[in-house]
Amino acid sequence: MDTFLQVLASGLMLGALFAIVSIGLTLIFGIVKVVNFAHGEFLMIGMYLVYLITAKLGLHPLVTVVAVAPLLFLVGVATQRLIIQPLMSARDDHIQIFATVGLSTALINLALLIFGADIANTPPGGLRMPIQIGPARVLLGQVIILLASAALVIGLQLFLQRTQTGRAIRAVAQNRAAAQLMGINVNRIYMLAFGIGAACVGFAAAMVAPLYPTSPTIGTYFVLTAFVVVVLGGLGSIGGAFAGAMIIGLIDSFAGFYIGSDLREVAVFGVFLLILILKPSGLFSERLNLSHVSP
Amino acid sequence: MNLSYLLKTTVAAIVLSATAAHADVKFGALYPFSGQLALLGEESARGLEIAVDEINAAGGIQGEKVVLVRGDAVDNNQAIGEARRLISLEQVAAIFGTYSSARSIAASQVAELSDIPYFELGAVADEVTGRGLKYLFRTNPYAADMGKMIVDMVADKIAPGIGKKPEELKIGIIYEDSSYGTSVSTHQANYAKEKGLNVVVSSGYPAATVDMSSLVLELKQAGVDVVLQTSYQNDSVLFLQQANEAGYKPAAVIGGGGGYSMQPTADAVGHDVIDGVLDVDFTQYLVNTKATPGLEAFIEAYKAKYGSAPRSGHSLNNYVGAKAILKAIGKTEGFEPDTIVEAVKVMDIPDGATAAGYGIKFGENNQNERAAMMGMQWQGGKLVTVYPDAAATAPMQFAD
Repeated sequence: MDTFLQVLASGLMLGALFAIVSIGLTLIFGIVKVVNFAHGEFLMIGMYLVYLITAKLGLHPLVTVVAVAPLLFLVGVATQRLIIQPLMSARDDHIQIFATVGLSTALINLALLIFGADIANTPPGGLRMPIQIGPARVLLGQVIILLASAALVIGLQLFLQRTQTGRAIRAVAQNRAAAQLMGINVNRIYMLAFGIGAACVGFAAAMVAPLYPTSPTIGTYFVLTAFVVVVLGGLGSIGGAFAGAMIIGLIDSFAGFYIGSDLREVAVFGVFLLILILKPSGLFSERLNLSHVSP
Repeated sequence: MNLSYLLKTTVAAIVLSATAAHADVKFGALYPFSGQLALLGEESARGLEIAVDEINAAGGIQGEKVVLVRGDAVDNNQAIGEARRLISLEQVAAIFGTYSSARSIAASQVAELSDIPYFELGAVADEVTGRGLKYLFRTNPYAADMGKMIVDMVADKIAPGIGKKPEELKIGIIYEDSSYGTSVSTHQANYAKEKGLNVVVSSGYPAATVDMSSLVLELKQAGVDVVLQTSYQNDSVLFLQQANEAGYKPAAVIGGGGGYSMQPTADAVGHDVIDGVLDVDFTQYLVNTKATPGLEAFIEAYKAKYGSAPRSGHSLNNYVGAKAILKAIGKTEGFEPDTIVEAVKVMDIPDGATAAGYGIKFGENNQNERAAMMGMQWQGGKLVTVYPDAAATAPMQFAD
C-alpha cells in the first residue's frame, strides 16, 4: 500500500510538471490556432534566464519569475508579430507550423552557440528538499509546481471569463472575422494571447529550472508530452490541459512501476490513442476547431 | 600564343602542383565540429592535432610533413558529404575520426568504397568494426570492453569490498534505450551471466525522460545492491538525484561513460551525493602514470597549445591512437591505401606502453584487441582511477 501511495504521489507531481509546461501551449493553440513547435524552446530560454539571474545576482529561483515571465511575454509578442502574423493570412495553415519548427531549430542552435552543449545548474534554493507526506516522499519544489499550476489555471480562467480583454480574446478565438467586425483589433489580441502563452512558460521555467538541469535541448524533453496533454485535454481548454497532464502523469508513473519503465511510453501513447479514437475532440472540448474562421 | 607554349606551361603547371602536393601528406580529420556534439568532437580532434604536431616536430612521416584537413561531420549526411570531399577533392591518404558512432558508421562506408583507410579513434558502438570493412581500423575500446570491464569490477573488486560473494549480489541493469545503452547493457547482461552474477532487474528507458522515480522504486523494491547505468548526461543526473531523494542507497552504482565522467554532472548532482559513485570509461587524467607513459607530456602539450587542461579523456584516446597509427605509417614506404593497411596490420604495441595504458594490436574485424577502459570513482568531487590496480591512484571506497 505504501508503494502504491508513493507511485500515486510521484504521478501527481509528474502531472503537475506537465501541466505547468502545457498551459501556455493550449492557450496559444486555442486562441491563435497556431501549433507552436517552439514551445519547448521558450521553456529553454526561460530556464536559461532563471539560471543566469540566480547565478549572477544570487536571487532565489522563485523570485526570478517577476523578470522571466515579462521577458517571455515579450518573446511571445515578438514571435507573433515578426514570424506568425506575416504568415497569418497564408492560404495554408501548415506554413505557420513550419515556421515554428524553424524557430525551434534556430533557438536550439543559438543556445548551443551561446551556452555550449553542457548542462547549466540553477541553484535549487532549498526546493530539492524532500518532504514526507504520510508514506510518500516528494520534493518541496514539486509541491510548489502543483500549487502554482492550479493557481495559474484558476487565474487564467478568471481573466478570460471576467475581464473585457478576456472576453475579446475568447471572441477572437471563436470567430476571427466576426470579432473583427465587432471592432476588436484581432492582430493585437493575437499578440497579447501569444505573449500570455509564452509568459506562462516563463512562469513555469522559474519552478522547473531549480529541479532540472538546463541544456539547449531541454525543451525537446517536454514538448512531445505537452502536445499529448493539450490534445488529450481538448485543444484550447485550459482546465482540460490540467486534467490531461494529471492523467498522463499518473499513467506514466503507474506504468513505469507496475509494467516496466521501457513500456511506459507505450502505455501513455496507447491510452492517448484510445481516447482520441473514442473522443476525437479531446476530453474537455466540445468540438474540433482548427481553422481561423469557425464554421 | 602557339600550341607548344600552351603545352609547356601546362606541363610546368602540372609538375609544380605535383611537387607542391608531394611536400606534404594530407590526412582528413572528420569530427562534429559544430552542432550538438561539437564540444566533445572538438575535444577529440585536439588529441589528433597534438599527435600530428609531435610527429611533425620529429620530422614528419617518411620525410614528409603531415597536414590535417578538417571535415565537419555535423550530422550523418554531412559526415558522408565531408568524407567524399576529403577523399576526392583533398585527396587525403587516410581519414581519422569521428567521436560519434553514427557519423563514423556513415562516413567509413564512403571511405571503404573509395579504398581509403579510415581510422576510428573514439566511437564506441559495436557496429563500427562489426561490419567486416577492409579499410576501417579502430584503436579505442568499444561497447563490449565497457560491459566486460564493469562486470569484472563488480566480481573482482566490489563483491569482496562489501564482504559478499559475487553471486550473492543483486544486480540491476538500467540503460537509455537507444543503440548505445542497449548494446552496452546487452554486453553487461551476457557477461554477467557468464560470470554467474545474479541480474534481478534489467530495464530500459528513453534518454529524454523527465522522471525516473518509478524506476528508482522498482530497484529499491527489488533490493538491488549494485546498479549499472548506461546513460547520457541528463538521465545520469536525474537518476542519481532521484535515487538520493527517494532514500535509495545501493552498495554501488556504476555508470558507463557518458554523463558519469563529466564534472558538470558531479556539480549538478552535488559532490556529497555523487561521492563513491563508480564509472567505467576511456582513460582519464587522474591515473597512475606508471601505467600510462607519456600522459604528463600530453597534458603539457595540450596546455601549451590550447591554454587549458584537457576537458575529457577523449583527446587523450584520440592522441594515443593517432600517434601510433602515424608512426606505423612512417615505418613503411608510400601512402598507397594497401601499403598503409599492411603497415598498421603488423602493429604490435604492448599494454602499458601508451599514454592511455592500453596496447595496440588489431585483431578480428580490425578492432584493437588490447584496447581497455578503466574504472574510476568520484572521491571528494574528483574522478580518480581505482581499477585496474596498476593504474589506480586511490583505493576503491565503499559505503559502510
